[in-house]
Amino acid sequence: MRIAIVTTHPPSKGSLNEYAYHFVRFLKTKTEMVEEIILLLDELPEGQQYSPEQNQAQVPVRSVPCWQFNALDNSFRIRKAVREADPDIVLFNIQFASFGDKKVPATLGLLTPWLLKLDGQKVVVLLHNIMETVNLKSAGFGNNPILEAVIRLFGNIITRFILKADWVAVTIPKYVEILESKYGAQNVLLAPHGSFEEPTETAPSTMPGGKPTVMTFGKFGTYKTVDLLVEAHAVLLKKHPDMRLVIAGTDSPNAAGYLQGVRDRYSHVPNVEYTGYVAEGDVPRIFGEAWVVAFPYTSTTGSSGVLHQAGGYGKAVVLPNLGDFAELVLEEGYDAEFFEPTSADSLAASIAKVIDNPERQREIGLRNYAAANGLPITEVVDWYLIHFEELLKRK
Amino acid sequence: MDIIKSSRDNLPVLQLKGRFDAHEVEPVNAWLAEHTGKGEARIIVNLEGMNFIDSTALSTLVRGLKNCRERNGDLHICSLQQPVRVIFELTRLDKAFDIFPTEEEAAKGF
Repeated sequence: MRIAIVTTHPPSKGSLNEYAYHFVRFLKTKTEMVEEIILLLDELPEGQQYSPEQNQAQVPVRSVPCWQFNALDNSFRIRKAVREADPDIVLFNIQFASFGDKKVPATLGLLTPWLLKLDGQKVVVLLHNIMETVNLKSAGFGNNPILEAVIRLFGNIITRFILKADWVAVTIPKYVEILESKYGAQNVLLAPHGSFEEPTETAPSTMPGGKPTVMTFGKFGTYKTVDLLVEAHAVLLKKHPDMRLVIAGTDSPNAAGYLQGVRDRYSHVPNVEYTGYVAEGDVPRIFGEAWVVAFPYTSTTGSSGVLHQAGGYGKAVVLPNLGDFAELVLEEGYDAEFFEPTSADSLAASIAKVIDNPERQREIGLRNYAAANGLPITEVVDWYLIHFEELLKRK
Repeated sequence: MDIIKSSRDNLPVLQLKGRFDAHEVEPVNAWLAEHTGKGEARIIVNLEGMNFIDSTALSTLVRGLKNCRERNGDLHICSLQQPVRVIFELTRLDKAFDIFPTEEEAAKGF
């Protein structure tokens, strides 16, 4: 089969680019079932270009930049690109803000799966979040209750359009329940997120040594903010003056300038390192040096790729006491120390429970390693292929 | 988890009882590798006594199904109990696998 994937992908820094990178990395090894992969990507800034690694032994991958974050004509251009590529299946790797942080382009982009369905395409949407569980204020969309209510209403309407796809895959069981009970959907399926890392023969070091290092990884400024973490770091420095805080990643596309603001606000707090964008090759070192990986999220928009990555590196984690994360930890076998999402003292206490207790650090790290290796993304890709195959058998 | 290996109408049957999770996949993987690596792989997995399955265990069955179909065979599942049926429905793998009420029907289904 020939598969078109509407997604971001490195070197684009758009959200879900990492997930796409790893998904495609394994999808292109499935030569027995896949003939070609066509990536329908967001356009890169001038001077940059996509150059997918081609390997004769793998499925050929073609990159077609055909949409832009916040552009109004994305639906039109993606449909045109799909018509030209003529794939058997179109897979969307998206979340609610994939096509823009402005309401009109975000909405228009999210209508694309439905429009492609009207065009006669087989369409599968991997939806990383659902409107019902997004804290709009934290995600940068709603600033007053009336506006938030209006956005939620539109969100519900858009969800109904997304559900016109053949399949809508989500990564958390609760999302299946919500979409089935609220929208009466019969085409939603649970697909595990999967681990990005390939299983290794021996578990990586859960105890890296060196200075105590807390690391957070992601795109920051909307629901992933680091203010609380820097404040917790300041608390912890009183006991651990050599402790490092590594903030790895960039601003969220929806929150340009956020990290510079944090630098300015907390310039008096020592031992805070900002890495900027982390290239794939540097990811193992960044995770490897961490004693604990922190998730200073104020709300969640789905299963966390970073949690799976942290597990793959055998890392202890501290997580906010939010429903989705707690569920994920329980259902996928992860372990963590939890903190109250609005309290720097609570976050500092959770980090201290890990760095002051090597046994607990090791215990969480090994458990997370086992959980992350339980289901590598290569196996999740097989699930999708089985579903695609079943879909293609339909008239 | 208890594993019972048998055959019906010359088709290999694997019966799994109890809890099937990440810690129990190795012997199932070995059995699947043995029976999906040659000829036209047609096998039956009987889940009559199974009361729990996790995503890793499901993945093991998906891999088995994929390997069978690559050899123009199939993996039939039978005798699902309610807690496990719910998981198959949640993941929509009930649409991907051919699932039969009994082992006899699973054998006749080839």
